[in-house]
Amino acid sequence: MPRFLVHRRLVLAGMMGLACTPARAQQMDIARATTFVDKAGQDLVNAINDQRLNQAQRRDKVASILRTAIDIEGTGRFILGRYVRQASPAELQDYLKPFDEIIIRNLSSRFGEYRGVKFSLGRSQQRTEEDALVSTLVERPNTPSFTLDWRVAEINGQPKVVDVIAEGTSLRLTTRSEYAAVIQRNSGRVASLLDAMRGQIAQLAAREGG
Amino acid sequence: MTPLAARILGPAALCLLMLAGCATPPPADDPEAVQEFKETNDPLEPTNRAFFAVHEAIDQAVLQPIAEAYRDLLPQPVRNGVRNMLGNLRTPVILTGDLLQGNLDRARKTLGRFMVNSTIGLGGINDVARSYDVHGHSEDMGQTLAVWGVGEGFYLFMPLLGPSSPRDLVGFGTDIVINPVTWFGQGQILDAWNYTRLGLTIVDTREALLEPIDAVRKTSLDPYATLRSAYRQRRAFEIQNRDSPAGAVAPAGGTGFGQGVMEPR
Repeated sequence: MPRFLVHRRLVLAGMMGLACTPARAQQMDIARATTFVDKAGQDLVNAINDQRLNQAQRRDKVASILRTAIDIEGTGRFILGRYVRQASPAELQDYLKPFDEIIIRNLSSRFGEYRGVKFSLGRSQQRTEEDALVSTLVERPNTPSFTLDWRVAEINGQPKVVDVIAEGTSLRLTTRSEYAAVIQRNSGRVASLLDAMRGQIAQLAAREGG
Repeated sequence: MTPLAARILGPAALCLLMLAGCATPPPADDPEAVQEFKETNDPLEPTNRAFFAVHEAIDQAVLQPIAEAYRDLLPQPVRNGVRNMLGNLRTPVILTGDLLQGNLDRARKTLGRFMVNSTIGLGGINDVARSYDVHGHSEDMGQTLAVWGVGEGFYLFMPLLGPSSPRDLVGFGTDIVINPVTWFGQGQILDAWNYTRLGLTIVDTREALLEPIDAVRKTSLDPYATLRSAYRQRRAFEIQNRDSPAGAVAPAGGTGFGQGVMEPR
């Protein structure tokens, strides 16, 4: 075999080796991701439809399920995007704390309204380079059913939700545009986003009555 | 061109001419900012935001209260009938889209749905085909252009019309012109018919979006940016022609808020 061909193969193999070892290293197993989403989804549905709980208790239960299922730090970093590097470590901590609260409050108040909800695994499950996309169908009485895709990644040996996509609209992409717009419109200051987030938490708390 | 079509396309063209306010591009020595500016692809952002503010004011003063009254006054079966009927009347546009995209399977479904729903479904009021598990889908010229490889271009926000892009706006105009329903009848009857259809389409679309728009206003730190991102993602999803159990024939068609409309129950 000509020498240059061998050489090229080595280079190719090297490149593929590099491509196969991304920073987070773990590959998401599709069956594992599906089981995980099925369990988390059923837990959520059970909490939402639990007659014994009042509204506040239901919200707390939903919030605690979401907290264990979602990779909040990774999602928060993804959403902050290029500003992660511009933020000081203190600012990043200042961001992740209200981010956690906003995402959990918003999701649990939204899911909390879905009384009588049914949830089933969809047909198509696919795998991407780093994570798995598990498709589910959410059905509620008197409202149109919709598809909800869950993006699941292996985070420190645990499957975690990194995004939810409702009928093609991804929560983390939409939120990333939202946060980037706030920063840009305030001359690129991450601190202005933090102020806006804190203001939002105060509003949400006032609306929920604490 | 009918007066109605002229009245829709005229202001849209005027709006395009008025688009004078441009966003300032970031300095070239900040590649990440330049990259972000390109991805946002909203060079007319100041004008778009001004239009968005105008739209929000009109919406909160007029459209939203009308949509709420519509929901309160009419029972759900009647509202479903309206949405089904309006969707059925979009069949020529949807069928054209299916065919121009070479999607014969979807074209067959569209045609079958039209025949069953227009007859057994009493002029499209009942979506009988759905009970046979033949779900509807939306299609429009903007999507067809996308499938043909036309890029969406920069972002546009039109008062009343909502989020759009040059491609989708051209598609929207084409859809109005190619739909024979626009041309049925003569003179005042045609006008009255088209205004009724337009009015019902606006009210139906807004009613379908009462909760989603409330949620955006309540939870977003920048509703304009949220809507821009959501519109583009939703468009991309529609263009993929993925089967969706919630798939619906959005009466408003391809541009603006019609994207968010789902199948009635």
